[in-house]
Amino acid sequence: MSDRLTLLRETIERVLPEVEGVVALKQGPGGIVAPHLDLPSRPAELEALSLWPKYPVPDTLKIIQKAHPGAKLGVVCRGCEERGIVEMAKHAQIDLANVQLIGLECVTDEATFCRCYKPFTAHATTTVGDKIEGVPDPLADAFLAKSQEERLAFWKEQFLHCIKCYGCRNICPQCFCNVCALEDAIWVETGRLPMPLPPMYHLVRAMHMTAKCVACRECEETCPAGIPLAIQFRLMARDVQQMFGYETGAVIDQKPPQLLVLEEGDYAKTGLPH
Amino acid sequence: MAGLAATFGSGAMTNSIPEFGTDTNCFLIIGSNTSEGHPLIATRIIKAKERGAKVIVMDPRCNQVASWADLYLPFKPGTDVALFNGMINVIIQEGLADQAFIQERTEGFEELKKLVAEYPPEKVQEITDVPADLLRQAARMYAAAKPAAILYAMGITQHTTGVDNVKSTANLAMLCGNLGIPGGGVNPLRGQNNVQGACDMGGLPNVYPGYQVVTNADVQKKFQEAWGSTGPATVGLTVMDMVNGLEEGKVRALYVMGENPMLSDPDLNHARHCLEKAEFLVVQDIFLTETARLAHVVLPGVSFAEKDGTFTNTERRVQRVRQAIEPIGESRQDWQIVCQVAKQMGGKGFDYASPKEILEEVSRLTPSYGGISFERLEQLGSLQWPCPAPDHPGTAVLHKNKFSRGLGLFTAIPYKPPAELPDAEYPLTLTTGRLMFHFHTGTMTRRSKKLHSEVPEAYIEIHPDDAQRIGLNGGRRVRVVSRRGEIVLGARITKRIKPGIVFIPFHFAEAAANALTNSAMDPVAKIPEYKVCSVRVEPAPQ
Amino acid sequence: MEYRNVLTTCPYCGTGCNFHLQVLDGKLVGVLPAKGHVIADGGMCIKGWNAHAFVHDKERLQKPLIRKNGELVEASWEEALGLVAERLGKVKADNGADSIGILTSAKCTNEENYILQKFARAVIGTNNVDHCARL
Ligand code: SF4
Ligand code: SF4
Ligand code: SF4
Ligand code: SF4
Repeated sequence: MSDRLTLLRETIERVLPEVEGVVALKQGPGGIVAPHLDLPSRPAELEALSLWPKYPVPDTLKIIQKAHPGAKLGVVCRGCEERGIVEMAKHAQIDLANVQLIGLECVTDEATFCRCYKPFTAHATTTVGDKIEGVPDPLADAFLAKSQEERLAFWKEQFLHCIKCYGCRNICPQCFCNVCALEDAIWVETGRLPMPLPPMYHLVRAMHMTAKCVACRECEETCPAGIPLAIQFRLMARDVQQMFGYETGAVIDQKPPQLLVLEEGDYAKTGLPH
Repeated sequence: MAGLAATFGSGAMTNSIPEFGTDTNCFLIIGSNTSEGHPLIATRIIKAKERGAKVIVMDPRCNQVASWADLYLPFKPGTDVALFNGMINVIIQEGLADQAFIQERTEGFEELKKLVAEYPPEKVQEITDVPADLLRQAARMYAAAKPAAILYAMGITQHTTGVDNVKSTANLAMLCGNLGIPGGGVNPLRGQNNVQGACDMGGLPNVYPGYQVVTNADVQKKFQEAWGSTGPATVGLTVMDMVNGLEEGKVRALYVMGENPMLSDPDLNHARHCLEKAEFLVVQDIFLTETARLAHVVLPGVSFAEKDGTFTNTERRVQRVRQAIEPIGESRQDWQIVCQVAKQMGGKGFDYASPKEILEEVSRLTPSYGGISFERLEQLGSLQWPCPAPDHPGTAVLHKNKFSRGLGLFTAIPYKPPAELPDAEYPLTLTTGRLMFHFHTGTMTRRSKKLHSEVPEAYIEIHPDDAQRIGLNGGRRVRVVSRRGEIVLGARITKRIKPGIVFIPFHFAEAAANALTNSAMDPVAKIPEYKVCSVRVEPAPQ
Repeated sequence: MEYRNVLTTCPYCGTGCNFHLQVLDGKLVGVLPAKGHVIADGGMCIKGWNAHAFVHDKERLQKPLIRKNGELVEASWEEALGLVAERLGKVKADNGADSIGILTSAKCTNEENYILQKFARAVIGTNNVDHCARL
């Protein structure tokens, strides 16, 4: 398996002189991995380069870009992470013009772990590894096999386990609002465990992820209560695709449906006051 | 954790957190609001439940874990011993005890058996309010599912009968042979992140690092030789005695590092009064805490993000703290501050280059930390003590074939009512506790915008029946009065609490629950009675 | 330009989760989980997720304070440490070592706790060492 890692290291080494830094994974103490910014001045750090487990690198990229606007950066991204970056760019969270995407294609084990429908990149010009096909999502399928009542009971029990860590929101690259509805007592009652029913926290987040979720499954992975959150997002994404013909992260210049606004002239046509 | 030490010879958590996820078949949780006090232990229990493990919660409040547990037993605060005696009674009666374990590994069983015969479930129901049948069900569930783990937190130790409560948990665990096996055990969940480490390092008046007792001549000699000088061979004062000693003039000066005894003392007004009497009070902290405000000198230390070192978690796991940023302003490393004072006072042996060197000295002098070093932690991530040698893998499960004291000791413990019982003047029982959104005295968490906005203000939880009786209707402010003080705060009316009981979280300085609580102490562990005290609640004047 | 993740142990409860402190140009900007950690396994509770928040708080003490005419005023380290050593020395000389009490901390590291109890025993000469965690 040294190939993908070696290839990636060589690729980064090639890219490094052309950029100010490359966001990639690095292995740290006790073998624990985390995102890291490799700098041209410190090539030796690439020794600890790592492939897995994946992390929400789109967010890392955003953090660095916000502090250093205009800096040219490379980023090693998998399919889901590339989709995340593209989607964030559409919402002005990332400046795509200054990013060089280094695509890392996932292997079967990784895709199976992620129940990923698209374990490959689409926009990266430099890629490492061979493209494989997507895998089914057995959890989503099992959910769909349930009756209406069973589905409700399923989520009710799952949400009762929630400890309101906000981890699913914090880690989600698509949850970037400065003022978050989940912290607004009008929507979600604060300071209560178990969270009161109806589970407003989860319903609000589910709604806000329509046409935004890129199925990276970071929320699910970080959920200490083990709630299979991505099932709901996956199914909503399916609906959005059917209804609006929109697939997150797929086409860079396709506007997401929630960003469609009426232009000046359109207001007149509606006959509404403006 | 004096109760466990007396029973097994060691007071630490007997088992490990990962086992809860993989091995435990039944959890008995008492006096721990696990999903708020130790959230990531609670989430392991969720995962265990999904693979079929049973969960029993005993608590006066229906907390989050109780809301999805298999059995929930609400009981009157302070009646823990009766509850355990009742369970043991049922298990013996129904022949569910682990006879082999009792015979091979324990002593004192006959005395226990005789005593618990006096606690049939019906009698226990009268004392605890737990229906006899529910108690029977719980006893059977625990006895049937081996390995079963008992988890408890300060909810049972903060009583005048704290030591008895802990010994009761040990009785039950030994009765069913749940010790020395993965997934079983008696597991005190420590509140603050390094309580275990502070105790391990000899932050106690009776022991040196590694629980080496100060009254032992060999130990005394060992530290005399290692350090060049040391303290007397007599046990020192506990924190309560120190604070009280200030009032009597027995103690004149106090050096406080990173603690806020003002807020954590059970009797706040008394604590302030005593601390004000100090001839000299030094506080080393990162914020101007309530205690620091009373100090003569305040020394700015650094936060966890600015320091290197190790913490020891509740399951004896030693892990690294790593410096991420430079100290803020002119603040200094806490170890350096102490070393500088020590050297100015003529102390020898305080020339360390780094925390790594300090840990090297610790491991030389502390047998249970003998194999723990920065190098190994860097490589392995963590090590659980006892870890006596550099090639030792650490210890996940204590008391595997033998207890530290040899045989495990059953203790026959009669039920004693709490020190203060409700009466006509103070008709409600107050219990205090932790919230997930805050941490201990709130010095750190209340400075985080997110955590603060989650629960910005103190409140009291009261059952609708009691609220109605005193003429409260939703959202009003109330005055809570005990024999020691009174506070005013908002009310949350909820069925999650038993009628007759009220609950106040203890993180808020402006309405410190500790102004109300009782300073009657457990005679052995010297833990003040936070959990039970009698109060009167009345609508506050607008 | 510098971005690092520093693996550390949560300062809040005794569960012992590990997580990463995200450091951007010398300042903490957030917390990131530690996937594969034996306890946290990529998760945290709300406290862990906010563990960086108090570190850069405006109210952090930045200089030693000494009480003068009833008020706490800023002082140099030299003055503050000198005063502590002198006053503790005096209390010890006048009233004996056991008239001094030392509180170690359940929030500080093992190394810091070790050093403070060593100071109490080896330098002050008392076993009046305890911490508030029994509370
Ligand atoms: S939950 Fe909604 S409001 Fe909150 S950050 Fe996500 S998208 Fe924004
Ligand atoms: S909702 Fe979950 S799966 Fe979707 S983008 Fe956010 S973190 Fe990824
Ligand atoms: S990550 Fe899980 S436990 Fe945390 S808030 Fe989200 S659903 Fe709840
Ligand atoms: S993240 Fe939460 S559960 Fe984990 S150690 Fe910190 S406070 Fe405890």
